[in-house]
Amino acid sequence: MTTALIFLPLAGALLVWLLPLPGRASGVLATLIALAEVALFAVAVGRFDFGESLQLVDRQSWFSDLGVSYHVGFFGFSLWLAGLTVVVCAAAIGYATWANRERARAYHGLLLFLTGSIVGVFAAQDLLVFYVFFEAMLIPLYVLIGVWGGERRAFATVKFVVYTMAGSLLMLASIIVFGLSQGTFDLVDSGVSSNDWVFLGFLAAFAVKAPLFPFHGWLVDAYRESPSEVAAILSGVVSKAAVYGLFRIAIAKFPEPVQDFQVPILVAATIGLVYGSLLAFRARDVRSVTAYSSMAQMGLIVMGLFSLNELGINGAILQSVAHGLVSASLFLLAGMLETRTGTSAFARLGGLARGRPDLATVLLVVGIIALAVPGSVSFAGEFLILAGIYAEGWGWAAIGAGAIVLAAMYMLRLISAVLHRSRGEAVRDEALDLRPAELAVVLPLLAALLFLSASPNSITERNFPIQRADVAEAAE
Amino acid sequence: MTQGAWICLLAPLAGAWTITVMGDTISRRTAAWISTLSVFVAFGGALATFVGLLRRSEEERAALTTAWTWLSTGNFEVGLTLLVDPLAATMMLIVSGVGGLIVLYSVGYMDGDDEERRYFAYMSFFVFSMLLLVQAGNFLILLVGWGLVGLASYLLIGFWHERREAVAAAKKAFIMNAFGDATMALAFFVLIWQTGTLEFAGAFEGAELMSSTALNLVALGLLGGAVAKSAQIPLHTWLPDAMEGPTPVSALIHAATMVTAGVYLIVRAHPLFELAPSIQDLAAGLGAITLLVAGLVALVQTDIKRVIAYSTMSQIGYMFLGVGLGAYGSGMFHLMTHAFFKALLFMAAGLVIHHLAGEQDIRRMGGVRRVMPRTYLAFLVGSLALVGIPPLSGFFSKDSILAAALASGGYGAILFVAGLLGALLTGIYTFRLFFVVFLGEPSPLVKQHAQGHDSGHGSGEGPWTMTVPVAVLTLLAIIGGWVQIAGVWHPFGDRLEVVAESLVEPSVVQDYVASAFAVGLGLLGMGIAWAFYAARRRRELPRAAAARNVLEHKLYFDELYDALFYRPAVWIAGIWRRWIEEPLIGGSITGLSLGARRAGGALGEAQSGYLRSYALAIATAVAVLVVVFVAVQ
Repeated sequence: MTTALIFLPLAGALLVWLLPLPGRASGVLATLIALAEVALFAVAVGRFDFGESLQLVDRQSWFSDLGVSYHVGFFGFSLWLAGLTVVVCAAAIGYATWANRERARAYHGLLLFLTGSIVGVFAAQDLLVFYVFFEAMLIPLYVLIGVWGGERRAFATVKFVVYTMAGSLLMLASIIVFGLSQGTFDLVDSGVSSNDWVFLGFLAAFAVKAPLFPFHGWLVDAYRESPSEVAAILSGVVSKAAVYGLFRIAIAKFPEPVQDFQVPILVAATIGLVYGSLLAFRARDVRSVTAYSSMAQMGLIVMGLFSLNELGINGAILQSVAHGLVSASLFLLAGMLETRTGTSAFARLGGLARGRPDLATVLLVVGIIALAVPGSVSFAGEFLILAGIYAEGWGWAAIGAGAIVLAAMYMLRLISAVLHRSRGEAVRDEALDLRPAELAVVLPLLAALLFLSASPNSITERNFPIQRADVAEAAE
Repeated sequence: MTQGAWICLLAPLAGAWTITVMGDTISRRTAAWISTLSVFVAFGGALATFVGLLRRSEEERAALTTAWTWLSTGNFEVGLTLLVDPLAATMMLIVSGVGGLIVLYSVGYMDGDDEERRYFAYMSFFVFSMLLLVQAGNFLILLVGWGLVGLASYLLIGFWHERREAVAAAKKAFIMNAFGDATMALAFFVLIWQTGTLEFAGAFEGAELMSSTALNLVALGLLGGAVAKSAQIPLHTWLPDAMEGPTPVSALIHAATMVTAGVYLIVRAHPLFELAPSIQDLAAGLGAITLLVAGLVALVQTDIKRVIAYSTMSQIGYMFLGVGLGAYGSGMFHLMTHAFFKALLFMAAGLVIHHLAGEQDIRRMGGVRRVMPRTYLAFLVGSLALVGIPPLSGFFSKDSILAAALASGGYGAILFVAGLLGALLTGIYTFRLFFVVFLGEPSPLVKQHAQGHDSGHGSGEGPWTMTVPVAVLTLLAIIGGWVQIAGVWHPFGDRLEVVAESLVEPSVVQDYVASAFAVGLGLLGMGIAWAFYAARRRRELPRAAAARNVLEHKLYFDELYDALFYRPAVWIAGIWRRWIEEPLIGGSITGLSLGARRAGGALGEAQSGYLRSYALAIATAVAVLVVVFVAVQ
C-alpha cells in the first residue's frame, strides 16, 4: 500500500515523460495521476488503524549484512504529512496545467516525481531509504527552479543547491556513522545514540530544510523566483520533511543530545519566529511576506517539537498540516495575482476586492486562517504548541504569543495592500475574478482548512498515541 | 432547552454561509432578509432557552451540551461545548434581540450600497460569533468566540474598504484585540498546566490550589483580554477610530454587544478574579479611570458618532467598576440597559446621518428637531436614559453600581466619587450633543436636506425598517430598567446569583443616597450643557485651550503606542534587514558561491586524467573516513 503510494506518482512521471502528448494533454494526464494518488491516500486512511503504531509496512532486505532494507510505512502523524503532500501536489499540478507552462511534459513529469519522492521521505523507515528520497526530492526542485524560475533563477538555484547540498552531505556522514555504529540502518530496529556530532549532522540538514534561523539564506530567493506552484510545494510540503526528520530521527534517536541542545535549538527557533515575523511585516511583496511568514511558522513548529511534551509535539504536527495548506494556498494565490497584474509588489497592487468577490473572499479567508484567528486550525496548532512550550518556561510562550500579534500585523497588511484601498497602478479593469479552473485548484485546499478548523481534533486525536509509539518511547 | 441554544447559535451562521455561497444568484434585498431572518430565528432560540431555564428549579439551571471534541492531546481535551445558564441566557437574549433589531435597521440603512450582500453576511457572522462567545462552555471555545467577534468587527469596521481611514481603523482594532487574545491565551496556558483543564467548573475548582502568583497572572491575562475587547484604558484607542464603520455596526458591535464582552468575561470567570482580589480591584480602578477620561474626551469631540463612542467607553467603565467590586448583577444589569439606550442613540444618530447624506460633524448640524421630530424624541429618551434620569432604564442600573461602590468601604468610596463625577460629565457631554444637534434654528445643511426626503420614504425620517427598530428600542430604553428597582424587587439580579453571587449588598439607604447624588449631578450636568450650548448658543467650551488640545488628542495615547510599539518594530525590522538579512544571510552565500567557483577551477586542475591519481584520492578519502569512524566510536 505504502509502496503504491510512493511509486504511483513516480511511474506517472515516467509515463508523462514518455508519452508524446501535447502540452495541455500531458498536464491533464498528470493531474489525473495526482488525483488518483489522492484517492489512493484516501484508501490508505481507510485501512489505517489510528490506535496502532507503525502500519502499512513494506519491507524488502537490500544489503542484509549492512542492515539496509527498503522499509516503508506510516505512523499516524506521518500519514497526515503524506496526505498534505498529495493534496497540495495535486493542487499544484492542476494549477500548472491551467497555467500552461512551457515544455509541459518535462515540467509535469518533474512535479509528479517530486510528489512521489516527498511521500517516500515521509514513509521511510530506513535511513538510507530516507536519504535516497530526501535527495530525490531536491533534484527536481533544482531543475524546476533553475529552468522555469523567474529572472534571477540562476542565482536562486545556486544558493538553494549550495545550502541543501551542504546540509545533505553532513546528514550523509551522520547516517553512515549512525548506521555502522548501530549495525543497522533501520529506524525501527536501531537503538538510540548519544553522539552529539552525529546528532548535529542530522540537525544541520533539517535546519537548512525547515529553514531555521540563520540557515534561511536560500529561502527568499527560492520562494520568489520559483514558479508559484513550485513555491507552494516548497514552502507547504518540502519544509515538512524537516519536521519528519527532526521528530522521527533527531528526537527519537538522540534523546540525550536533544536534551543537551534543547535550549540552543529553542533559541534559534524563537529568533526565527520573531525575525521572520518582523521581516514579513516590512516585506514589499506578497511572495516575500509569505516566504518570511513561512520561516516564522517553521520556527514555531520547531518550538513545538522541542518542547518535548505531548501538547507541543501534537501541536507541531497539526500546525505542519495547517501551515502546509495555508502556505500553498497563499503561493498559488500569489501566482494568480501575478498572472493578472504581472507583479506581487504591494506598491503596485490594491483595490482588487472591488468587483472580484471570489478572489477577495478566498484571499481573505486564507489570510485570516494564516494569522491564526481563534477558531481556525492554525490557531488550534499554535495554541497547543505554545501551551506545550509554556512548560519549558513562560518566556518562550510569551514571545510566541507576541509573535502571533505580529502575524496579525503582517497578514492584515498583505490583505489590505492587495484587496483594499484605491486601485493600484498594476491593476487593470480587465483583471478578472478567479476563473473556475483557479477556483477548482484553490477551493479544495480552502475546504480542507475549513474542515480542519471545525474539527482540528480529526488530526490531533489520530496523530498517533504518543505514549505507545516507539517514536515517543525513545523521546521519553 | 439545549436544542434552543444550538438553534440560537447556528441560525446566524447558516445565514452568513447561505449569503456567501449563493453570491450574486440572490438579490441584495434577499440577502438582507436572509440575514434578518437568521438573527430573529436566533432570538427565538434564545427565548426558548430562557423559558426552558425558568421551568427548571434553581439548582438545575445549568446545562452543558457538547457537539464534538474540538481539540485533544493526551489527558487534555476540549469539546465544542455550550453552557446554558441564566447568565448565558441573558446575554443570548440581549445579543440576538438587540442584534435582530439592528440588522432590521440595516435593511433600510444599507439599501443601495452595492456590496450589501457582503455586509449582511458579515452581520450574521458577527451575531454567530457573539453568541458563541456568550454560550461557550469552556475557556477555549470562549476564546474562539472572542477572536471571531474581533474578526467580524475588523471586517465591518473596514467594510468600506476603499477608504484608507476605514482600513487603518479596522487593522488597529484587530491588532489591539489580538494583543488581548494573546494575554488570554497565556492565562489559559497557566490554567492548563496548573489545573489540567479549561472547563469552567474544573478550572475554578483547581484554581483554589494554585499559588497567588499564578492566580494573579491568570486574572491579569484575562483582564488584558477584557480591557482590549471593552476598550478600557489603556487599550481603548481603537474604539473611536472604529466609528469608520457603518452606523448600525457601531450600534451593534461597538455599543450593544461586543464591547461589553469584557464585563461578561469577568462575571463568567469571577471565581478566578475573586481568588486574585488585587486584580479584581484593578479592574474596578481601570473602569473608574476610563469612565472619567472618556467622559472628558467626549466633551470636545465634534463627530456625532465619536461622542457616542466615548460615551460607550465611559459606560463600560461603570460596568467594570461594578463587576470589579463584585456587584455582578448590577454590572450585567447596566450592560443590558446600556445595550438598549446606546443602540438607540447610535441608531437615532444614524437616522440623522442618513438624512444628512452622511454628514457626521455636529458643527454643521443644528435644529434637526424641526425636520425629524420623532428622531428627536427617540434621541431625547436615549439621552435621558444615558444620564440616568428616572424612571428611564439607565437610572436604575447605573445607580445600583454606584450604590455597590458606596457599600464597598474606602476603595469603594473613591470609586463612588469617580462615578459621581462621571455622572456629571455624562450629563454635560450628552446634552451638549443633544442641544447642538437638535435645538435651535436648522443649520444650512439641515435646511438643504429638509426637502426632497419627504417624498421618498413614508415617514420622512426613514423607511419603516429603520424607524420601527428605533421605536422598539425607545420603548426598551424607557421600561428596560423596571425589572430591578432597589428596595422593591430584583428578579434580574436574583437570577444571576445562581451563576455569580454578588460580593456586595448595598442597603436600601445606600441605594437612595447614591441615586440622589447621581440624579442631582446628572441634572446639574444637563444644566451646564444648557447654559453653554442652548441658552447662549455657544458651540465650544470657553478657553482652556491647552486642556482641550490634550483632550482632542485623546491624551496622546495613539502617539504613545506609536512610539512604544510600532516605530520600534519598524526600526528593528529595518536594522535586521539592512545589517543581517542582506549582507550576512543574503550575501554570505553569494560569497560562498563565488568561492565555490574558484575552488571548482582548482579542482579542475586536479582532474589530471591519470587513473592512479584518482585511485590515490579515493584511497585517501576512505582512509580518512575509516579514521573518523574509529575515532567517533
